[in-house]
Amino acid sequence: MSIPRIRVSQLKLFYEDDQKQPILDELNFELKDHENLLILGPSGCGKSTLTHCLNGLYPRELDGAMQGDISINGVSANNFASGELSLQVGVVFQDPETQFCMLTVADEVAFGLENKGIATTEMDVRIHEALGLVNMTAYKERVISTLSGGQKQKLALACILALEPEILVLDEPTANLDPKAAKEFIQTLDQLQQKKQFSLIVIEHQLDGWVSLIKRSIMMNTNGQIFFDGILHDGINQHRDRLEKLGIWIPRATKIALAIEKQGAYFFNTLPLTINELASYPISYNGLDKKKTVKADKRLLLKARDISWSKRNTSIIKQTNIDLYHGQFVAVLGANGSGKSSLSKLLAGIQKPSRGTIHLDDRPMKNWKEKDLRKKIGYVFQNPEHQFIADSVFDEVAFSLRLQEYSEREINNRVEKILNQCQLTGFDDYHPYTLSQGQKRRLSVATMIVDDQSLLILDEPTFGQDAHSTKQLLHLLVERYNQGTSIVMITHDMDIVHHYADRVLVMEKGHIVLDTTPEQLWNYPVGKLNQWQLELPKEVELKQLQQKDVGYVHT
Amino acid sequence: MFIHNVNPSIKAITIILSVLLLALVFDPITPFLFIIWIWFLTIGVAKINWKKYLLYFSPFLIFAVGMFWSNLIFANEPINPNAAITLFGRDFPTEDVNTALSLSLRILSFASLSLLFLLTTNIVHFILSLMQQCKFPPKLAYGILAGYRFSPMIKDELFLIRSAHRVRGVNRAKTLKEGFNQYKRFAVPLLASSIRKAERTAIAMESKGFTGSRDRTFYRQFTVTTKDWIFLLGMVAVLLILIIMSWQLGYFKWYNGEL
Repeated sequence: MSIPRIRVSQLKLFYEDDQKQPILDELNFELKDHENLLILGPSGCGKSTLTHCLNGLYPRELDGAMQGDISINGVSANNFASGELSLQVGVVFQDPETQFCMLTVADEVAFGLENKGIATTEMDVRIHEALGLVNMTAYKERVISTLSGGQKQKLALACILALEPEILVLDEPTANLDPKAAKEFIQTLDQLQQKKQFSLIVIEHQLDGWVSLIKRSIMMNTNGQIFFDGILHDGINQHRDRLEKLGIWIPRATKIALAIEKQGAYFFNTLPLTINELASYPISYNGLDKKKTVKADKRLLLKARDISWSKRNTSIIKQTNIDLYHGQFVAVLGANGSGKSSLSKLLAGIQKPSRGTIHLDDRPMKNWKEKDLRKKIGYVFQNPEHQFIADSVFDEVAFSLRLQEYSEREINNRVEKILNQCQLTGFDDYHPYTLSQGQKRRLSVATMIVDDQSLLILDEPTFGQDAHSTKQLLHLLVERYNQGTSIVMITHDMDIVHHYADRVLVMEKGHIVLDTTPEQLWNYPVGKLNQWQLELPKEVELKQLQQKDVGYVHT
Repeated sequence: MFIHNVNPSIKAITIILSVLLLALVFDPITPFLFIIWIWFLTIGVAKINWKKYLLYFSPFLIFAVGMFWSNLIFANEPINPNAAITLFGRDFPTEDVNTALSLSLRILSFASLSLLFLLTTNIVHFILSLMQQCKFPPKLAYGILAGYRFSPMIKDELFLIRSAHRVRGVNRAKTLKEGFNQYKRFAVPLLASSIRKAERTAIAMESKGFTGSRDRTFYRQFTVTTKDWIFLLGMVAVLLILIIMSWQLGYFKWYNGEL
């Protein structure tokens, strides 16, 4: 019997500030040579803590207690000198911005080699090789800050590969990437496995994309316990009802399958994980119930004419016209760098256009006082923390009401109502920074709807959120929408677009190239959608696959 | 490109040595001639764009002119009031003019030397060379490099936070006190994210096997060769020759705490 690459036994870990509730509770598992393992769990289940344990950072840097043992290749992790273990267990982290300490690509790859003590003469070959493995050779001399998020993540992978670890741990490697970059990253990894031999652990809260690569999975709950260890397919079958509640993103295809089961149309013995799998079942599927209620409100809310905006002599928004109406749910789509964020800031009056005019309620934007403008338009930034200014959740929401000198009683009523709507009741006295990611996001939305703003603009609000908090957030937005608020949302998530939006704006190179309904957007040829870096929602993909099948059978 | 390629540590030592030597001297001629020599090196040899150079140099120039003028106006009682020079239609005692000129030229010579270093040296290379030649601890060196990478990010983030707060209805600060409070509010999210980023970066660095030990190899190796010693000795030699020249001309004076 061969020695397992990793053996974790009875691993239990506490942080200093809470010694009753363990972060990791009695973990036991093994990883064999050349095995791929997916560790699934909601945010806050201790996944990152586990990563730190595996590469030797804990217990050395831990403020707390760690029990149990981890052995790598049969040697207990405690017996490794500092820095030695991390050369055997390479880790790629979630955030592409903070994994580097050098300025250029080559220097960064070299950094690890230098730590390992590789001879200078050998380095160039190794750097070249590592960059070749992730198809980044052409970027060798580039400055890291000029790379895209996806390229940075591939570079992080290359840095680790250069060290030739036997075990590779990826800690939510695609969570901060847009869907296209995420797909590319997983593809790169797939190619890599054919070229090089290593054991792989992927720690994730979502499954999409990994299904084809990884067969075995460990599932964890929020208490840091393992509740399943086995074949991924089986785990999803067994726990089909619990996963969503636990905050684990299940594959979209599986979600659709579950919905079909719920409708009683078909029962799947093994739940399908991909759309192709699902399409092979003899089911007729007419789409999930849409939460959309199309409203025929044609009152103009905001009118932008010929607006342009440039930054440091590069023009970012070019002569764009938009009419926004009351009661619309607009999704702004497009590749990274196509000008989505800039446009949204212009519409919110945060940036002034260099040319062109914007009218809000038939009044030119520049005639609006900042104070009044904020009562009409709310803007939710990508990072909720940027918007926090008070020391407690209550004060945070009450802030703008106090500016308007409402009575304390009125403030109390309104804040309670909003907190309730945002599912933050009971957190009044918490410091905003101590909330979870999902709660922070909802709080930032809460501060932007407390004045009953008629337009709410959100910059990728579901980015990096787990399944549960995404659901809660969307629920909140739909509620506002039903109350008549117009919502403009930048997003990369086509399923959200499909289910919630009634209008889509597609941006390309600073222009709005398409202004239509989602239904019509999906009818565009795939080539065109790819050019805009869009993909079909899974439901639509399924329908098209089925139609193709039908067509095939008939001919 | 000769000056660009001088070993950064040796270059720094040369600059420091020159500054120390210049600090001992107090006459207008030595620094004046030395400035011309440095300019020749910066623009003539290192081929730094003179417009760019002037831009960097101008604050020092303004400061030096101010220094010159105030020293003239508020000079000490001259020992020999009869020898005078006419400047801007006014008579000034020669020794006052000399003192003022020496002081302002000192400033300019220090500035030119620093600019010669800054404009011809890659900061990353400098830090790497400090580690390799001067036994600078890697823990500190890579910390500085990581921080250097962060600085533009922090600027962008500050801008973001400012607009995010504006959207919240925080008024633009009008009084000094409001301004102070506003910066206090900016500080919290900025610090929070900086600490988080620093922690993540530190973890990522450790995960690449960084322990802070001096026992490491270098991808970019910096060595000290003959040309570096030539640069160091050459610079010092030129300065010494200039000092001797000014001594021969009768201007030379040791620095004696003049202000």
